[in-house]
Amino acid sequence: MSAVIYEKDLTAMKYAILVSGRHDRVVREIAADLQVGVQQLRRYIIRHFDMMLMENIPARYEAGKKDDSLMEPVARELGMELYTRYIPLFGKKQIEPVIDEVEMLVAEGKPEEEAIRIGKAMLGEVLSR
Amino acid sequence: MKKTVDVSIPLGPIHPCFKEPARVKCETKGEFVTGAEVELGYMKKGIERIMKGRPWQEVMFLAERVCGICSVIHNMVFIEALEKMSGIEVPERAALLRVVVNELDRMQSHTLANFSYCYTIEHETLGMYLLDMREKVMDLLELITGARVTCAYIVPGGVRFDLREEDRESLLASLDAIETDVRRYMGMFEGGSLIGLRSRDIGILSKEAALEAHAVGPTARASGMPEIDRRLQHPTYQKLQFTPVSRDGCDNFSRIMIRFDELLQSIELIRRCSALLPEGPVRGGGIPGAGEIVYCGEAPRGELTYFIKTDDAGRILDISIQTPSIMNIEACCHYMLKDAASIADVPSTFVSADPCIACTER
Amino acid sequence: MTLLQSIKNYVRSKSIHVSYVDVGSCNGCDIEVLACLAPRYDIEQYGIYVHNNPREADILLVIGAYTPGWEEKLEMVWNKIPEPKVAIAIGNCPISGCLFNRPHTYIDPPVSKHIPIAASVPGCPPRPTEILNAVLSLAPVVFKDYEVKKR
Repeated sequence: MSAVIYEKDLTAMKYAILVSGRHDRVVREIAADLQVGVQQLRRYIIRHFDMMLMENIPARYEAGKKDDSLMEPVARELGMELYTRYIPLFGKKQIEPVIDEVEMLVAEGKPEEEAIRIGKAMLGEVLSR
Repeated sequence: MKKTVDVSIPLGPIHPCFKEPARVKCETKGEFVTGAEVELGYMKKGIERIMKGRPWQEVMFLAERVCGICSVIHNMVFIEALEKMSGIEVPERAALLRVVVNELDRMQSHTLANFSYCYTIEHETLGMYLLDMREKVMDLLELITGARVTCAYIVPGGVRFDLREEDRESLLASLDAIETDVRRYMGMFEGGSLIGLRSRDIGILSKEAALEAHAVGPTARASGMPEIDRRLQHPTYQKLQFTPVSRDGCDNFSRIMIRFDELLQSIELIRRCSALLPEGPVRGGGIPGAGEIVYCGEAPRGELTYFIKTDDAGRILDISIQTPSIMNIEACCHYMLKDAASIADVPSTFVSADPCIACTER
Repeated sequence: MTLLQSIKNYVRSKSIHVSYVDVGSCNGCDIEVLACLAPRYDIEQYGIYVHNNPREADILLVIGAYTPGWEEKLEMVWNKIPEPKVAIAIGNCPISGCLFNRPHTYIDPPVSKHIPIAASVPGCPPRPTEILNAVLSLAPVVFKDYEVKKR
């Protein structure tokens, strides 16, 4: 019988990366921002990111925060660039309906802050699915 | 990421071209590489966890052993962070000697990176020339600090040993010899037509991608971003009128050539330091105290950041280290390796970003 | 000793293939092993060839303090090396864990718990000449009369 040579469960090692000082702070910040549980976000990241991307999360988060090339206020507030390009938690297809919805809420006369908060919660739901 | 691909070709963890264990999983379509993932975990020692709660005298040596190739800069950034936090003054002579040692360290690191690249594209002759030149630089490092790799030369308030006059002369004489060598090897690399075929227009990292992955150091400077150099913010380098170099080829060839450029630049900086070197003490003394700081320095591979929090006795309460390799390897595996024309280009592209797995995982 | 055996002994002492494996060091020892390749030390004049392919190696240089990523894998690498084989620990890390062996660390030294180590070169990091000396003095002793000993 030939054993599988290399493939190994990486969850433990990935978790070790995520709980180190700075990574932990950034993950907590993102979790608070998207209104999901920290463990839920960690699980999502462990499933979807490779280890190198996980190591780079803090640097990418900072680069994403600095980037202000995006002009549309709603998309920027929702972190369109941040969460699709810099920290690829979502695909474009997942975030666009949320942006449309939030823009509709704003057009209906809801205060912008309130609408953004609802939008972020919707994004958080995508993660916990 | 769970994905279904045609063929996933793993390289490593033990690979003749990689100095350190890392596993690059390439998703391929025939020979064409569509994407790559890096699997780590072979070097995770948990240095940041060990550092917590220890006095700075111990952490200083641990910081140096984050990376064995660029140990001087880890030492320098950690100590300078403590100095800035506690307001310790450094004598002029010591500050210049720090730059000398740091630039020598940068030289040996860049030579090693270029050796690895030449070795990977199977140009062993040039590789061996470079490795021989590196030994000369290591000799100079040993002459000044007393050790080849982990020298712990920089201490709070100064440096450990003074540079004697006869050592300074032999340093300058060796630098002249090294400069002739560098120019010769640079010509060989630039003019080699087969090297050009293996290196030009391979492993493209565009400026946008470099910004996105927050690439730093020579990797970013080869994509036309000179302003990324943290030495511009360092007071001693400002005094030396340091100006960074850059190239805009964005490919493997530029990344190697920029390291050659920086070798020459480092030699020039050391000469300037030696000309400015005033008489005086090299150790001012001083004891680190309580504080919290974020301090950056330019390692051979790019921007190195220490986040330090200490208590009154100088014990480290909280520390995180962001090493340049993290950003560079990430940029390498997610942007440069994408759309590589052949699997044979994958090791050479990976090595051209000068990966240091020990730094990355700590 | 037969003539054939003495020829084998001679050949084995003049042709040594070396592979190195880093099981979690700071990189310093790796680089010192690499520096052995430099024309100054010229490892190949002694018939040592650094190949970094375990399947062709005679000597395995183990560097580093055994991190969790290498569980099972180091033994796998060791089993792939054909007989006669020997492992040398380079640096303090595989011997004691050096200064990484503190509370809250991930490492699990010494490496001799996991694979048999025949010799060790202490130092943080050892000089290239010391590494070279260890390989050169160990190889003829270990590989001598291998067939006789096996019987």
